[in-house]
Amino acid sequence: MNAEFIIAYRRRLSDRSKEFFETMQNFLFFSLRSFGAMIWMKRYWSDITTQMYAAGTSSIVIVLVSSISIGCLLTMEVGNQLESFGAKTLTGRATALSVIREMAPMVTGLMLAARVGASFASELGAMKISEQIDALRAFGTDPIAKLVMPRLVATLIMFLPLTAVSCAVGLIGGSFVAQGYHNIDPGFYWNSVLAPLEFHDFLVGFVKPPVFAVAITLVSCFNGFSASGGTVGVGQSTVKGIVVSSGLVLLLNFYISKLVLENL
Amino acid sequence: MTRITFDHVSKNYDGVHPLREVSFTIEPSEFFVLVGPSGSGKSTLLRMVAGLESVSSGNIKFDGEIMNDVPPRLRDVGMVFQNYALYPHLTVAQNLAFPLSIRKEPKAQISARVGEIAELLNITDLLDRKPRQLSGGQRQRVAVGRAIIRKPRVFLFDEPLSNLDAQLRVHMRTELRQLQRALGITTIYVTHDQVEAMTMADRMAILNAGTLHQIATPQEVYRTPATVFVARFCGSPSMNILANGTIGVRPEDFVYVHSNGADAFNEQNAHSDDLYAYTVSGTVENIEYIGHEWLSFVRMTDALVCVRSLRAPTQHIGDTATLGVLETGLHRFDSAGFRL
Repeated sequence: MNAEFIIAYRRRLSDRSKEFFETMQNFLFFSLRSFGAMIWMKRYWSDITTQMYAAGTSSIVIVLVSSISIGCLLTMEVGNQLESFGAKTLTGRATALSVIREMAPMVTGLMLAARVGASFASELGAMKISEQIDALRAFGTDPIAKLVMPRLVATLIMFLPLTAVSCAVGLIGGSFVAQGYHNIDPGFYWNSVLAPLEFHDFLVGFVKPPVFAVAITLVSCFNGFSASGGTVGVGQSTVKGIVVSSGLVLLLNFYISKLVLENL
Repeated sequence: MTRITFDHVSKNYDGVHPLREVSFTIEPSEFFVLVGPSGSGKSTLLRMVAGLESVSSGNIKFDGEIMNDVPPRLRDVGMVFQNYALYPHLTVAQNLAFPLSIRKEPKAQISARVGEIAELLNITDLLDRKPRQLSGGQRQRVAVGRAIIRKPRVFLFDEPLSNLDAQLRVHMRTELRQLQRALGITTIYVTHDQVEAMTMADRMAILNAGTLHQIATPQEVYRTPATVFVARFCGSPSMNILANGTIGVRPEDFVYVHSNGADAFNEQNAHSDDLYAYTVSGTVENIEYIGHEWLSFVRMTDALVCVRSLRAPTQHIGDTATLGVLETGLHRFDSAGFRL
């Protein structure tokens, strides 16, 4: 009985490992083909602009709301902690570094993983289930060039300005809290925000959005393309897309910060 | 007009064999139906023709040219999918134009061709609508139009009528058949519905579990099924299989035998009892009236036998009855299920 259980467990482990490596291999090919399809950018420019609106412009509200609340909360908490050391005047500086380097890219990434990633995965999943992707192939179009590449290009273009907006709004929100809650003069706050900022602070913050764009788009689209099993399958692939891309955003956020801050 | 040849075509993945060594030829302009139950490999075979699935071994040829590694866009096939696969954000006109617009054909030419196709399929007044504003039959027509707009070498239909109601299905299968005759394009049509297959096909192939059982005209398939599976699958009600699968009798070939040996209702001459090649006895379990005919079900020791008749049987439910079949109505199979 024990031996049987061990054999069954090992077989299951082996099957899972095989499945994992196959998925990774497929994802690698999918990613390479998506980047390779960028040579057709001109041909699919109208699809790219449609996706820029869907992924970028339509996401502004959620990015604004989340960024302003993060900026406000950060200023409030940091100010409280610094006050106990008599360093409340450094609130702007701490908020700025946190927002620009970490919070704005991460929050924007997470919001976009949820909003844009879910939209990509569910839309492509539904197209896969209803055979629209097969139809594209049958009519002579490469579905990756038509469906994935425009989304990838659109997010690569739009995530950067969205992150910039997120930074600005987070800091503006922080200035209101600094003035209203901590009684810090706005001039003093903005001076402490801007004065210590260096090039590599922006580099840490703004190298992340393109990386997040690639991760979110490719993971979500890959899951959409892998959907099977009817509407339940679309739901599962969407959830998987969001979970994996959100996890990647958190993971990549940490490693990019570490890499850039340690090396530059 | 393209001749399609399947030369020992197989499909394998992960130890599963959806298709095994399938070989046959579809003649130019033929309406060829692939029929079989779910999992028989018919859709896989169709998708291999379209280039949507790879060929594991063997060759698929269009007019002698091997197509295995030719990408779908270069195969010049028009395909209609089970779910129609229309693009919901595009209008009917844009859906119809899609295969031409992605090839960057001139706008004037696209517009003219859309007009022609819309007229042919009688959907001119629907051109500005979105797919969600169409009925099942209208969507079906748009999907067909999108497939034929490019004047492909081959038409592929993957269960295109399965989402329609019974009445519309009968209507659409006539329309599809007329359209194919008018265009003369080689067509492969996949269905799990044997009635659809029998009524539409010039020839049909019956598949089960990835194995080809028979290729023949609908008449040949019905009158001389090659295997017990084909005998059971084609015909409604299906053939009665008796004597451990070695004897087959169509429901209309069975007659109730009176004690004097006369055929009870088939308007045939009375037969002497010893003329029947095979007789069985049982109890009448149920009698169904379906308008133009009667179906009675007789319980044998090892099977439930269906008898089809144009007149009401004189027997009643619960009666003991003897059924007989002439030699001409008897199908004999070996123990492996192949026709003798």
